[in-house]
Amino acid sequence: MVTTPYVRAELLAHAPQGVAPGQPLWLGLSITHQPEWHTYWKNPGDSGLPTDLAWTLPAGLDAGEIAWPLPKKIPIGTLANYGYEGTVLLPVPVTVASTFAPGPLAKDATIKLRASWLVCRKECIPEEGEFTLQLPIQSTTALNGAAFEAAAKAQPQPVLAGTNGIVPDSQAQIADGNLLNVSVQGLPVALRGRALDLFPETAEVIDNAASWKQSWNGSVWTAQIPLSAQRSASPSLMPVVLAEQSPAHATGPDTRTGYRAELKVLGAWPQVASVASVSPALEAALKANAAQASGAAAPAMGSGASSLTLTAALLGALLGGLILNLMPCVFPVLAIKVVGFTQHAQDRRAHRVSGIAYTAGVVLSFIALGALMLGLRAAGEAIGWGFQLQSPAVVASLAALFTLIALNLAGVFEFGHFLPSSVASLQARHPVADSFLTGVLAVAVASPCTAPFMGASMGLTATLPAPQALAMFAALGLGLALPYLAASFVPAVARALPRPGAWMDTFRKLMAFPMLATVVWLVWVLGQQSGIDGAGALLILLVGLSLVVWALSLAGRARMWMATVSLATMALLVWAFVPHITHVPTSQGATQASSASGWQPWAPGAAEQIVATGRPVFVDFTAAWCVTCQYNKKTTLADADVLADLQAKNVALLRADWTRRDPAITAALTQLGRSGVPVYVFYRPGKPPVVLTEVLSVDEVRATIAQL
Amino acid sequence: MKLLRRTLIATAALVALGAQAAATVGQPAPDFTLKDTSGKTVRLSDFKGKHVVLEWTNPGCPFVRKHYDSGNMPATQKEATGKGVVWLSINSTEKASSDYLEPAKLIAWKQERKSAPTAVLMDEEGTVGKSYGARTTPHLYIVNPQGLLVYAGGIDSIPSARPADIEKATNYVKVGLAEALAGKPISTATTAPYGCSIKYKS
Repeated sequence: MVTTPYVRAELLAHAPQGVAPGQPLWLGLSITHQPEWHTYWKNPGDSGLPTDLAWTLPAGLDAGEIAWPLPKKIPIGTLANYGYEGTVLLPVPVTVASTFAPGPLAKDATIKLRASWLVCRKECIPEEGEFTLQLPIQSTTALNGAAFEAAAKAQPQPVLAGTNGIVPDSQAQIADGNLLNVSVQGLPVALRGRALDLFPETAEVIDNAASWKQSWNGSVWTAQIPLSAQRSASPSLMPVVLAEQSPAHATGPDTRTGYRAELKVLGAWPQVASVASVSPALEAALKANAAQASGAAAPAMGSGASSLTLTAALLGALLGGLILNLMPCVFPVLAIKVVGFTQHAQDRRAHRVSGIAYTAGVVLSFIALGALMLGLRAAGEAIGWGFQLQSPAVVASLAALFTLIALNLAGVFEFGHFLPSSVASLQARHPVADSFLTGVLAVAVASPCTAPFMGASMGLTATLPAPQALAMFAALGLGLALPYLAASFVPAVARALPRPGAWMDTFRKLMAFPMLATVVWLVWVLGQQSGIDGAGALLILLVGLSLVVWALSLAGRARMWMATVSLATMALLVWAFVPHITHVPTSQGATQASSASGWQPWAPGAAEQIVATGRPVFVDFTAAWCVTCQYNKKTTLADADVLADLQAKNVALLRADWTRRDPAITAALTQLGRSGVPVYVFYRPGKPPVVLTEVLSVDEVRATIAQL
Repeated sequence: MKLLRRTLIATAALVALGAQAAATVGQPAPDFTLKDTSGKTVRLSDFKGKHVVLEWTNPGCPFVRKHYDSGNMPATQKEATGKGVVWLSINSTEKASSDYLEPAKLIAWKQERKSAPTAVLMDEEGTVGKSYGARTTPHLYIVNPQGLLVYAGGIDSIPSARPADIEKATNYVKVGLAEALAGKPISTATTAPYGCSIKYKS
């Protein structure tokens, strides 16, 4: 027993059947507080520390976590704590393994405990105590049975299951960025209509001392609980304990019963704005610049967007646009452009006009996309670049589009048969309009590829004022159009192009195959999102679509019959199979797949928790539809040396799969200043995280690991 | 029905206003005027253009003593002020509390431990502490040169009263200042503060 001026603490045991495998064994620290003094619950609230128990037990005995009894809310002025007054027993279940083998002469098991607790009134005293107990192995220890029984009763009970045996969902909906709308089901009838106290097991989320409204809606208890302005935890599941409200510092026996509910957190946690500080030196330089260019608009305060960084970002966007030309999903379109280009090889003026029209098409499309993103941002959508591929319906539509393009390239049908003649002639007779439309198409096709390369620029864009963001998009488009524009103006580039001829038709048909390969990729992506049934459904729909297209390309009577039959078939297929595509299975198929080979699925806060234990963490933010991600995964991240290095440094591997929309991952990306994948991050204990480049090299990863 | 809705809206607006009152990372840091231990008036906005650390302190608290007696807090202060950072230690303990120290005694206690913040400020009324939502001693904040709050939370990552833990812990203020001075966003911008409750005037 340890006695201080503030508490009396004692190590108790309960072993009614002695110490033997499979038999109940409880240890516990009993703390009796002086009046007005208290110690803390697992979440201490606004201040304080939870009591900590460190056991030294004989081999074969394993102590579990403290089974925390129901705490009290202890208000202190404008703050609030969760803890215990009077006498409390903190029980710990102990499992006795079958390997527990005391010597033949051993009568007792030696139990040692080093406990530390913080005891407070208004002032706080950290205290520690060492306890030893000789626990008889063969005989009964049940002297404190009543105390342990009372502690078991003070345990919060799980909320009740419904008549179907399923615990109904309890939720915490994030509202307006500063409130949690909590609704709890399965509370016992006896509590209905009563005012409840809420104890969150997760610290640092709610404003503990705030007063809030609660009400009963039939069997459902609801409350509007303000979030802490300095919240540092963003859980996806929030376990809470509810109990009937008791007056502060109530005396007498505690008759309350606590009920534990796991609240599913709905909605995205409000972002804590990450502010890029401008160093005093840089700020001085900026001020000098501003003074020189008097009359020029001063950079927006606090946005961190100086003219310097904006220029760099614009150049980065231009470069990114240039690189886009080399990306696999732009290359087929480039090929189409080359075909169109050679048709004007003799006419330099038409050439330039076409180049300018194409550039205009690309740049305007990018600006339109940027405006769309800004609009969605304004609407509060948690989106990232490449977001369109997270929707199964969009993936399926793109697959259909690429199938049509492939069929067209392969010569199954011509657009002239198909489109209204006015549009067809617009394309044929106005090369300028045609170039413009090609530019628009290039952007539509390029969008999946921009994510990997432009992640950083886009992350910056997402936080920029609208005009600057649009400028970034325009620069990106200009970069994409630049090679074509250059070729149209510098004849040398144009002359280097092959002459038109019969090969063009062959080439066009060849181009159908990259298109079909793209369809395969999209089907695979959809498979990740909607499962094998979704992918199968998409394939049968694509077959039906091809049938319709083929039927429409026929002539005369055959056309009429086949078109009718094929359209009817298609309608039936759509009715039967579209639900499979849009249905997103609830089981996390993609995440499960990634948990193999040492990778754990990422969860909000998981990296921070592991880092807090002193272990470095590597997080791979990825998506099935991101080609660069898949390339890195199959090459650098599968490299034997890299894997060996990671293992040698005991790096925890987390994979955040963004194939489907996930607001938590979107939020994590935003915090890293990105809005697309891939992003590779090393979290290191005691140091700021390191973000690696998107195209991962083995050397870079190994060098970073070496510095851990 | 209409009346009920209006009342609800009004209440929500009031709640929102109330929530706005507490300082939030990413938002402007509330300005304040306080007297230092020598009676001189100090304003936060006087330090615009510099990084400012606000440290809530109370020598009566064992968690504060952990970081002062071990030399951790004075060393962190010295490193910061050496880089041109302004360090303001603020004591929001009410006069009626047994922990309360007169300005002269407070500064003497700090000097004994070789603590050299830019200023030690007296906030006996607790208004500044409450406007920042300061809960514990120690509780630390970083304000950037533009006057935005960029960090709020604990001094380090291991909540305990044991000085032996300091070495193993991540000093969030050191890391945050290094990032802020390099012009980078602070990677861990809000953490859990730990320590004694601030003895506010009720």
